[in-house]
Amino acid sequence: MSTLTQTSPRPRPRPKKPIGGWRWAGRGILAFLLLFTALPMAWMVITSLKSQLAALQYPPQWWPEEVTFENYILLLSPNNAVGQEFLQYFWNSLYVSILSTILGVAVAVPAAYAFSRFRFPGRQMLFFSVLLRNMFPAVVFLMPLFLMMKWLGLVNTHGSLILTYLTFGLPLSIWLLKGFYDNIPPQLEQAARIDGATRFQAFFYIVMPLSSPGIIATAIYAFIMAWNEYVYALTFLNSKDKLTLPVGLQRFFAEYATNWPGLMAASFIMSVPVVVLFLVLQKYFVRALTEGAVKS
Amino acid sequence: MAEVVLNQVVKTYGNIYAVNHVSLTVADGEFVALVGPSGCGKTTTLNLIAGLIDISGGDIYIGDRLVNDLDPKDRDIAMVFQNYALYPNKTVFKNLAFPLQMRKLSKAEIEAKVMSAAKVLDIVHLLERKPRELSGGQQQRVALGRALVRDPRVFLMDEPLSNLDAKLRVQMRTELKRFHQDLQATVVYVTHDQLEAVTMADKMAVMNGGFLQQYDSPKNVFDNPVNMFVASFVGSPAMSLIPLEAVSHGTDVALRSPEGWELPLSAANSRKALTSTTAKVVLGARHSTVRLHKSPTAGAVPGTVYTVEPTGDVTFVQVFLGTSVVIVSLDPSVMVEPDQKVWIEFDQDKIHLFDGATEMALAAA
Repeated sequence: MSTLTQTSPRPRPRPKKPIGGWRWAGRGILAFLLLFTALPMAWMVITSLKSQLAALQYPPQWWPEEVTFENYILLLSPNNAVGQEFLQYFWNSLYVSILSTILGVAVAVPAAYAFSRFRFPGRQMLFFSVLLRNMFPAVVFLMPLFLMMKWLGLVNTHGSLILTYLTFGLPLSIWLLKGFYDNIPPQLEQAARIDGATRFQAFFYIVMPLSSPGIIATAIYAFIMAWNEYVYALTFLNSKDKLTLPVGLQRFFAEYATNWPGLMAASFIMSVPVVVLFLVLQKYFVRALTEGAVKS
Repeated sequence: MAEVVLNQVVKTYGNIYAVNHVSLTVADGEFVALVGPSGCGKTTTLNLIAGLIDISGGDIYIGDRLVNDLDPKDRDIAMVFQNYALYPNKTVFKNLAFPLQMRKLSKAEIEAKVMSAAKVLDIVHLLERKPRELSGGQQQRVALGRALVRDPRVFLMDEPLSNLDAKLRVQMRTELKRFHQDLQATVVYVTHDQLEAVTMADKMAVMNGGFLQQYDSPKNVFDNPVNMFVASFVGSPAMSLIPLEAVSHGTDVALRSPEGWELPLSAANSRKALTSTTAKVVLGARHSTVRLHKSPTAGAVPGTVYTVEPTGDVTFVQVFLGTSVVIVSLDPSVMVEPDQKVWIEFDQDKIHLFDGATEMALAAA
């Protein structure tokens, strides 16, 4: 206490931190990285707003003289062939991504919970074998999976993709969520069970809300992975009305090779759901990755 | 409220007995403390009563119901956890309301019950806060409130005070005792702190290594410990235990130390010593029953002061009698120095004798 009364009540001027060369170097690197990632995207957006002619001009127009939204209108209106095709791909992608996300969460949540809470024979082995898939590049499984899908009669269905994406997304989801459940004290569930909840209710009312950042993070991860996947979609699907956006877009390139603004508009629309999802939920994503990593 | 009966309760993990054939009866309205060092099986026993872990053998009754196979939710019990286990994403009100919601009470009933419990515990002003915005003492009250809110048949408490700072712990101890008196609640209370058990409980069950050692009132446990473990566990500072050898001189028995001094025993104590299975007898003495002399005295044995610990009210002195240590409490006005030669006199009516082989208390045959 005596030390408190002795210090002067006037706040001392805060000493200015010297801004060293390292600090500026760090900022320089960050600025460079920002340009490196942001510029292509900016160019994509700018090009998508140009007319066909303006896009091919040299030297390029850094900013379109005549901003036009006709490419977007063309892609998004269901009244013409291009729009119909594009929207079809878009819905296909949305369908596949959302379904594999929902199924992924539905499997990962109880699996992670079981790994975290229950001791059963083979638990360690199972838990690490979950990671086995991630030790190999995805293409390694292309042929085996294709043959399996053929055998199952799933080739050229969205089911084949959903199943595949599920197996690819689950390892990380399970590991991430298990970290979450490990950090939730089991006494909370015990308290809930004594308070009159069944095991499932204790999980549903108490544990699951606490792990929602983890669930949201795994959902985003699963969705983005499914949304962007190209190789498997290209291999498993062949009829035009089933294609997902990455593959569909690539066909677009082939068919409308010279229409750069159109392609850029399509690319931009494709990135919108992911960007929106990420912006809205990013705080959960960051929390999940840090919380899961550090044990209290 | 209801009584709790444990009958030959066993919990094993593989070949390890966490709880080994424990039988005890907690009478309706009684406050029973399960005490023992960590790993003694006290928390496991509590969790068995709660139904949080499955019983391996024996029977548990709550009231007249056999609850062995009942889920925790059907046992009509409430539990206060060491870390309080408040639901972090719910407000205090919702924490208290949760057990009532699970029992499908109407909104009005829930509101009324939560308010009345909150009033009893003086937490009405905290109802809209989240647990992390509360101090340790407040969290403790909320945890108690969640147990209180629905009139359970038995309260189970797992070291509820151990996360509080020393001052608050003493205060909450008083409040818990008052709470028990007012409610006439059946309470089973787990603690490693024998002082908590002695001050609050009607009866204490001392456990060690999965076995129930002694189950009696704190006074009886303190005055008549059944074995050396209980003797050394209950009481602070612990009872001094001095291993000696019984030698008989005619009908009288004396205890001889490895150093050669002999302590003649009274007739009653001689009879006790003779029941020992071997000649090895351990003398037990509480600090308050031992007298210290600064000069040779008849019936006193020689020793050397090791440390002097003044606490204000009393000064504790550790005296080495050869290889074993005796703790003596002295009036602070008495001055002794480390390494000083002193003579220790035991009160023959208050010493305890234990069988050196079985470690059990010796009683007159």
